[in-house]
Amino acid sequence: MYIFQKCYEHKQYKNGLKFAKQILSNPKFHEHGETLVMKGLILNCLGRKEEAYEHVKRGLRNDLQSHVCWHVYGLLQRSDKNYDEAITCYKNALKRDRDNIQILRDLSLLQIQMRDLEGYRCSVLEAKGELFLALGRTSDAAKIYRELLQRNPENRSYYGALEKALQPSTVDERLRIYQEIREKFPKAILPQRIPLDFLSGKQFEQAVDAYLQVSLTKGVPPLFVDLKPLFKDKEKVQAIERLVMGYCDSLKQTGKFHDTEDSPVQPASSLLWVYYFLAQLFDYLSQSTKALHYIDAAIEHTPTLIELFVVKGKIYKHARDLTSAYKCLEEAQGLDTADRYVNSKCAKYMLRAGLIKEAEEICSKFTREGVPAMENLNEMQCMWFQNECAQAYRKLAKYGEALKKCHEIDRVLLQILPSCFNIGGLVKECYISFGQHFSEILEDQFDFHTYCLRKLTLRSYVGLLRLEDVLRSHEFYFRAARCAIEVYLHLHDHPLTEENGIDRIDLVVYKRAFA
Amino acid sequence: MRVKIELGDVTPHNIKQLKRLNQVVFPVSYNDKFYKDVLEAGELAKLAYYNDIVVGAVCCRIDTSENQRKLYIMTLGCLAPYRRQGIGTKMLEHIMNFVQKDGNFDNIFLHVQVNNESAIEFYKKFGFEIVETKEHYYKRIEPADAHVLQKNLKKSAEPVHEDVRKKNRNERVNGVKESEP
Ligand SMILES: CC(C)(COP(=O)(O)OP(=O)(O)OC[C@H]1O[C@@H](n2cnc3c(N)ncnc32)[C@H](O)[C@@H]1OP(=O)(O)O)[C@@H](O)C(=O)NCCC(=O)NCCS
Repeated sequence: MYIFQKCYEHKQYKNGLKFAKQILSNPKFHEHGETLVMKGLILNCLGRKEEAYEHVKRGLRNDLQSHVCWHVYGLLQRSDKNYDEAITCYKNALKRDRDNIQILRDLSLLQIQMRDLEGYRCSVLEAKGELFLALGRTSDAAKIYRELLQRNPENRSYYGALEKALQPSTVDERLRIYQEIREKFPKAILPQRIPLDFLSGKQFEQAVDAYLQVSLTKGVPPLFVDLKPLFKDKEKVQAIERLVMGYCDSLKQTGKFHDTEDSPVQPASSLLWVYYFLAQLFDYLSQSTKALHYIDAAIEHTPTLIELFVVKGKIYKHARDLTSAYKCLEEAQGLDTADRYVNSKCAKYMLRAGLIKEAEEICSKFTREGVPAMENLNEMQCMWFQNECAQAYRKLAKYGEALKKCHEIDRVLLQILPSCFNIGGLVKECYISFGQHFSEILEDQFDFHTYCLRKLTLRSYVGLLRLEDVLRSHEFYFRAARCAIEVYLHLHDHPLTEENGIDRIDLVVYKRAFA
Repeated sequence: MRVKIELGDVTPHNIKQLKRLNQVVFPVSYNDKFYKDVLEAGELAKLAYYNDIVVGAVCCRIDTSENQRKLYIMTLGCLAPYRRQGIGTKMLEHIMNFVQKDGNFDNIFLHVQVNNESAIEFYKKFGFEIVETKEHYYKRIEPADAHVLQKNLKKSAEPVHEDVRKKNRNERVNGVKESEP
């Protein structure tokens, strides 16, 4: 089973099918339940849905006692959006393997997803609340928003609306609104967080002290991002810095945030999160030496925590040490090679440091089997990569390569963007039939438009014209164009000669630009 | 606040976390073969998570020298700031459960540096005893002498299922030779 899991996780579907065949061809294991379901799961990934169901059902029938079989059946149901069935399957799997973390995780995710039904009822109330507000029936509106907050005290917009309805005239009145909800939901975050925006002085200090302590104990990594909006206020940053520095000293000596009787002893991780927070704070304040000091203290404390290396990389990046920066990200990436976020961050940092080959290699770990990385990278989710690549070439003075990349982005975007806009089937077909050379055809407007007119109804033709107007307003296109313009301007100011032609510029592109 | 302590598998994705942990917890360094074998060790190699952070790890293997079937604890360690909170206990209990379920082990044993008092206290609490002291056991660290800590197990009297016996015999044949620093 482990082998299958590996194949599945690494998307080595072909290998997975091979193993399955090997096992199933042995007459003794011809009907082996777990192998059958794993084969089904892989088939499903390959889009062979009917075969997938057939295999999984047969596997399950042959081994009803296996948690693997139930789990996989659940996964299949989920992929078909049969959430209720999927939940039943996961529960059956859990009966057979009580503390399987993977199954527990899948189940809880689905349950969160299912909350959507509740969400639907909320949107009816929301509409009502908005109408009452618009009509000036403030006490009716207040009632509705209080009810909504009962259901979900973590929705920021409800608080804004409730304030509008109640119109508090002083800071204290305003604070009362939040205290009232806190009394009902002592663990809710927002009623503690929002007042930090409007409190000041001593009141702010007390509130932020409590807020920081709760978050640092819980170990909420995004605490820094959460508080960042407050930093525009100088007094507030200073108060926060003073408090957290105080925690740091006190934790080292007493294991508590404050050296007082009633301050509870903290778990070992609180000091780690304090270091982590201080590192980000000093980085924000452009004090990179201090920032590095605290991130190193954090790494010394818990050298297995991936986030620490990501932040260390960021500190180096802000200090313009791109080489040290990418090395930190490489370290982070190595610690958990299944983390897609860190993986792409790492590739990005490598490109910033001019390491194009290495970046491609890192990216290829997450691209599909059997397809060269670069081809895969021409998908929408990877356009950022191509853009960073173009920038990297430009900085390395490989102008030809940079221009090639920019033009490739242009070409690919024109091919894949239509699927991002909501356009009808025929228009899309029109694009596809022009395929690869679409951008050249765009230039040859006349032919293209007569072609469309012959193929499309007037309505879809108008749709197409609208699409053409917006295609190039996409952010990715904009960035690529900007990069290309920078290169062209540079080449215009410093025409290539034999000596400074560091890179054999692509003559066609070059001539086209300066013809 | 309640702290959550859990065990998780070692996989090719997270093996570097294990390496890093061992680097800072143990004075000896382990070679590539050690980590390659760990990936195949199943329940005998686990990471310990403290609120989702890796803070401990245990790596064992089955040893079949001297006509006995023994469980050898190669490494069991916890990051210093997280000690005395039951993480070592959680890992050792997992291993002892494994051995008990299997029912076919003669003993569990390990080596510790003679001055490693905390580890000796820790294992004594679970019924381990010093059965031998090997001089110059370690090559590059001081003190070089090691105690052998051992806990004997009564084999379960119940007859073992045929399949299990076959599997155990296979493991005995394939058992790896000791390759300690
Ligand atoms: C040995 C080690 C794994 C213990 O881990 P741990 O998570 O701190 O252990 P626990 O919290 O589960 O301790 C369980 C009991 O062991 C005993 N113990 C553990 N450390 C002790 C120490 N330093 N002094 C005295 N007794 C100790 C205690 O009885 C403790 O119970 P208590 O805390 O309720 O008093 C840890 O100290 C370590 O990683 N050391 C470095 C690595 C090493 O030497 N490993 C051994 C060789 S494989």
